[in-house]
Amino acid sequence: MLLFRSEDDIMEWCRQRHIAPGAVFDLERLWRLAARWYDDRLDHAWRRRSVPERQAILDEVGLTGPFWRLTRSSS
Amino acid sequence: MTHSGVIHDGDVRLWIYRHFVDTGRAPSPVEIATCFQLTPGSVEALLRRLQDEADGLLLLPGSHYIWMAEPFSAVPTSFLVRSGPRQWWGNCIWDALAILALVGVDGSISTACPNSGQPLQVSVTNGNLAAAPGIVHFAVPAREWWRDIGFT
Repeated sequence: MLLFRSEDDIMEWCRQRHIAPGAVFDLERLWRLAARWYDDRLDHAWRRRSVPERQAILDEVGLTGPFWRLTRSSS
Repeated sequence: MTHSGVIHDGDVRLWIYRHFVDTGRAPSPVEIATCFQLTPGSVEALLRRLQDEADGLLLLPGSHYIWMAEPFSAVPTSFLVRSGPRQWWGNCIWDALAILALVGVDGSISTACPNSGQPLQVSVTNGNLAAAPGIVHFAVPAREWWRDIGFT
Protein backbone atom coordinates (compact mmCIF):
# COMPACT_ATOMS: atom_id res chain seq x y z
CA MET A 1 0.00 0.00 0.00
CA LEU A 2 1.53 3.23 -1.17
CA LEU A 3 0.80 6.92 -0.74
CA PHE A 4 0.64 8.98 -3.92
CA ARG A 5 0.46 12.72 -4.52
CA SER A 6 -2.66 12.43 -6.70
CA GLU A 7 -4.90 10.03 -8.61
CA ASP A 8 -3.08 11.05 -11.80
CA ASP A 9 0.14 9.77 -10.24
CA ILE A 10 -1.55 6.46 -9.41
CA MET A 11 -2.77 6.03 -12.97
CA GLU A 12 0.65 6.83 -14.42
CA TRP A 13 2.42 4.52 -11.97
CA CYS A 14 0.06 1.65 -12.84
CA ARG A 15 0.34 2.33 -16.57
CA GLN A 16 4.13 2.15 -16.46
CA ARG A 17 3.96 -1.20 -14.66
CA HIS A 18 1.18 -2.64 -16.78
CA ILE A 19 -0.97 -3.31 -13.74
CA ALA A 20 -4.62 -2.49 -13.25
CA PRO A 21 -5.38 0.28 -10.77
CA GLY A 22 -6.60 -1.13 -7.47
CA ALA A 23 -8.52 0.61 -4.71
CA VAL A 24 -8.08 4.28 -3.86
CA PHE A 25 -9.10 6.19 -0.74
CA ASP A 26 -7.98 8.88 1.67
CA LEU A 27 -5.69 8.69 4.67
CA GLU A 28 -8.47 9.27 7.19
CA ARG A 29 -9.99 5.91 6.35
CA LEU A 30 -6.62 4.19 6.38
CA TRP A 31 -5.90 5.72 9.79
CA ARG A 32 -9.08 4.15 11.17
CA LEU A 33 -8.26 0.83 9.53
CA ALA A 34 -4.66 0.82 10.74
CA ALA A 35 -5.58 1.57 14.34
CA ARG A 36 -8.26 -1.12 14.41
CA TRP A 37 -6.41 -3.83 12.45
CA TYR A 38 -3.39 -3.89 14.74
CA ASP A 39 -4.97 -2.95 18.05
CA ASP A 40 -4.28 -6.36 19.62
CA ARG A 41 -0.62 -6.86 18.68
CA LEU A 42 0.72 -5.87 22.09
CA ASP A 43 -1.76 -8.01 23.98
CA HIS A 44 -0.24 -10.93 25.83
CA ALA A 45 -3.28 -13.02 24.97
CA TRP A 46 -2.99 -12.18 21.28
CA ARG A 47 -4.33 -14.80 18.92
CA ARG A 48 -4.57 -14.87 15.16
CA ARG A 49 -7.85 -13.34 14.04
CA SER A 50 -10.15 -15.48 11.97
CA VAL A 51 -11.05 -14.50 8.43
CA PRO A 52 -14.58 -13.44 9.47
CA GLU A 53 -13.09 -11.26 12.23
CA ARG A 54 -10.76 -9.58 9.75
CA GLN A 55 -13.56 -9.14 7.28
CA ALA A 56 -15.63 -7.49 9.99
CA ILE A 57 -12.88 -4.91 10.56
CA LEU A 58 -12.77 -4.05 6.86
CA ASP A 59 -16.54 -3.73 6.91
CA GLU A 60 -16.37 -1.46 9.99
CA VAL A 61 -14.33 1.11 8.11
CA GLY A 62 -16.50 0.88 5.03
CA LEU A 63 -14.20 -1.25 2.88
CA THR A 64 -16.79 -3.44 1.24
CA GLY A 65 -17.20 -4.95 -2.19
CA PRO A 66 -15.33 -7.64 -4.12
CA PHE A 67 -11.89 -5.99 -3.85
CA TRP A 68 -12.06 -6.23 -0.05
CA ARG A 69 -13.27 -9.83 0.24
CA LEU A 70 -10.61 -11.92 1.99
CA THR A 71 -11.79 -15.12 0.35
CA ARG A 72 -13.45 -15.83 -2.93
CA SER A 73 -16.39 -17.40 -1.15
CA SER A 74 -17.00 -14.77 1.55
CA SER A 75 -19.89 -12.49 0.84
CA MET B 1 16.85 -8.90 31.26
CA THR B 2 16.53 -12.66 31.10
CA HIS B 3 13.54 -14.93 31.46
CA SER B 4 13.51 -18.24 33.26
CA GLY B 5 11.02 -21.07 33.62
CA VAL B 6 8.75 -22.39 30.91
CA ILE B 7 8.99 -20.30 27.75
CA HIS B 8 5.85 -20.05 25.66
CA ASP B 9 5.94 -18.93 22.04
CA GLY B 10 3.53 -16.15 22.94
CA ASP B 11 6.00 -14.76 25.49
CA VAL B 12 8.67 -14.47 22.83
CA ARG B 13 6.25 -13.04 20.28
CA LEU B 14 5.27 -10.27 22.69
CA TRP B 15 8.89 -9.63 23.67
CA ILE B 16 9.82 -9.23 20.00
CA TYR B 17 7.05 -6.66 19.56
CA ARG B 18 8.10 -4.83 22.74
CA HIS B 19 11.65 -4.79 21.43
CA PHE B 20 10.48 -3.11 18.22
CA VAL B 21 8.45 -0.57 20.20
CA ASP B 22 11.29 0.28 22.57
CA THR B 23 14.26 0.24 20.20
CA GLY B 24 12.88 0.61 16.67
CA ARG B 25 14.61 -2.56 15.55
CA ALA B 26 14.18 -6.32 15.63
CA PRO B 27 16.05 -8.44 18.15
CA SER B 28 18.60 -10.79 16.63
CA PRO B 29 18.34 -14.55 17.19
CA VAL B 30 21.30 -14.24 19.57
CA GLU B 31 19.51 -11.56 21.60
CA ILE B 32 16.42 -13.74 21.82
CA ALA B 33 18.51 -16.72 22.89
CA THR B 34 20.25 -14.66 25.54
CA CYS B 35 17.06 -13.14 26.91
CA PHE B 36 15.19 -16.43 27.16
CA GLN B 37 18.20 -18.64 27.89
CA LEU B 38 17.58 -20.76 24.81
CA THR B 39 19.96 -22.55 22.48
CA PRO B 40 20.46 -21.15 18.96
CA GLY B 41 18.71 -24.18 17.53
CA SER B 42 15.66 -23.77 19.72
CA VAL B 43 15.43 -20.08 18.85
CA GLU B 44 15.53 -20.92 15.15
CA ALA B 45 12.76 -23.48 15.60
CA LEU B 46 10.73 -21.04 17.67
CA LEU B 47 11.07 -18.29 15.06
CA ARG B 48 9.94 -20.68 12.35
CA ARG B 49 6.88 -21.57 14.43
CA LEU B 50 6.10 -17.90 14.96
CA GLN B 51 6.44 -17.33 11.24
CA ASP B 52 3.90 -20.08 10.63
CA GLU B 53 1.53 -19.16 13.43
CA ALA B 54 1.94 -15.51 14.36
CA ASP B 55 0.20 -13.44 11.75
CA GLY B 56 2.61 -11.03 10.07
CA LEU B 57 5.87 -12.15 11.68
CA LEU B 58 8.21 -13.04 8.82
CA LEU B 59 11.88 -13.99 8.58
CA LEU B 60 14.26 -12.74 5.94
CA PRO B 61 14.26 -15.43 3.23
CA GLY B 62 16.92 -18.06 3.88
CA SER B 63 17.73 -16.78 7.36
CA HIS B 64 16.54 -16.76 10.95
CA TYR B 65 16.61 -12.99 11.20
CA ILE B 66 13.29 -11.19 11.56
CA TRP B 67 12.23 -9.29 8.45
CA MET B 68 9.01 -7.86 9.76
CA ALA B 69 6.63 -8.14 12.66
CA GLU B 70 3.76 -6.25 11.15
CA PRO B 71 3.39 -3.33 11.33
CA PHE B 72 7.13 -3.01 12.08
CA SER B 73 9.89 -3.59 9.53
CA ALA B 74 13.35 -4.69 10.62
CA VAL B 75 14.90 -3.23 7.49
CA PRO B 76 14.76 0.37 6.23
CA THR B 77 11.80 1.12 3.97
CA SER B 78 10.22 4.11 2.25
CA PHE B 79 8.10 4.74 5.37
CA LEU B 80 10.05 6.32 8.20
CA VAL B 81 7.99 6.87 11.36
CA ARG B 82 9.21 9.35 13.97
CA SER B 83 7.99 10.41 17.39
CA GLY B 84 10.37 12.76 19.15
CA PRO B 85 13.75 10.98 19.26
CA ARG B 86 12.19 7.59 18.53
CA GLN B 87 11.90 6.11 15.06
CA TRP B 88 10.63 2.97 13.36
CA TRP B 89 10.24 1.65 9.82
CA GLY B 90 6.81 0.69 8.50
CA ASN B 91 6.29 -1.85 5.74
CA CYS B 92 3.82 0.39 3.91
CA ILE B 93 1.71 3.46 4.58
CA TRP B 94 -0.89 1.30 6.36
CA ASP B 95 1.74 -0.12 8.68
CA ALA B 96 3.40 3.25 9.24
CA LEU B 97 0.11 4.70 10.47
CA ALA B 98 -0.47 1.58 12.54
CA ILE B 99 2.84 2.02 14.36
CA LEU B 100 1.81 5.44 15.68
CA ALA B 101 -1.58 4.05 16.69
CA LEU B 102 -0.15 0.91 18.29
CA VAL B 103 2.58 2.69 20.23
CA GLY B 104 0.04 5.37 21.14
CA VAL B 105 2.15 8.39 20.30
CA ASP B 106 1.94 11.46 18.13
CA GLY B 107 4.48 11.70 15.36
CA SER B 108 5.12 11.85 11.67
CA ILE B 109 5.59 9.59 8.67
CA SER B 110 8.01 10.56 5.93
CA THR B 111 7.56 8.99 2.53
CA ALA B 112 7.44 10.07 -1.12
CA CYS B 113 5.04 9.67 -4.00
CA PRO B 114 6.28 6.59 -5.92
CA ASN B 115 5.47 8.23 -9.24
CA SER B 116 6.50 11.86 -8.87
CA GLY B 117 9.02 11.49 -6.09
CA GLN B 118 7.42 14.38 -4.22
CA PRO B 119 8.06 14.10 -0.48
CA LEU B 120 4.92 13.51 1.55
CA GLN B 121 4.77 13.96 5.29
CA VAL B 122 1.86 12.69 7.35
CA SER B 123 1.49 13.77 10.95
CA VAL B 124 -0.58 12.66 13.90
CA THR B 125 -1.33 15.09 16.72
CA ASN B 126 -3.42 14.35 19.81
CA GLY B 127 -4.27 10.98 18.33
CA ASN B 128 -5.72 12.41 15.14
CA LEU B 129 -4.40 12.94 11.64
CA ALA B 130 -3.15 16.53 11.52
CA ALA B 131 -1.61 16.47 8.05
CA ALA B 132 -2.87 13.97 5.53
CA PRO B 133 -1.53 14.74 2.06
CA GLY B 134 -1.99 12.47 -0.89
CA ILE B 135 -4.13 9.48 -1.66
CA VAL B 136 -3.74 5.80 -0.78
CA HIS B 137 -3.56 3.09 -3.42
CA PHE B 138 -4.04 -0.63 -2.76
CA ALA B 139 -2.80 -2.48 -5.83
CA VAL B 140 -3.58 -5.98 -4.52
CA PRO B 141 -7.08 -7.29 -3.72
CA ALA B 142 -7.56 -8.35 -0.09
CA ARG B 143 -7.75 -12.07 -0.84
CA GLU B 144 -4.21 -11.92 -2.31
CA TRP B 145 -2.50 -9.77 0.34
CA TRP B 146 -0.49 -12.64 1.79
CA ARG B 147 0.48 -14.29 -1.49
CA ASP B 148 3.51 -11.97 -1.77
CA ILE B 149 3.52 -9.82 1.34
CA GLY B 150 6.70 -8.05 0.27
CA PHE B 151 4.95 -6.66 -2.81
CA THR B 152 1.66 -6.04 -1.01
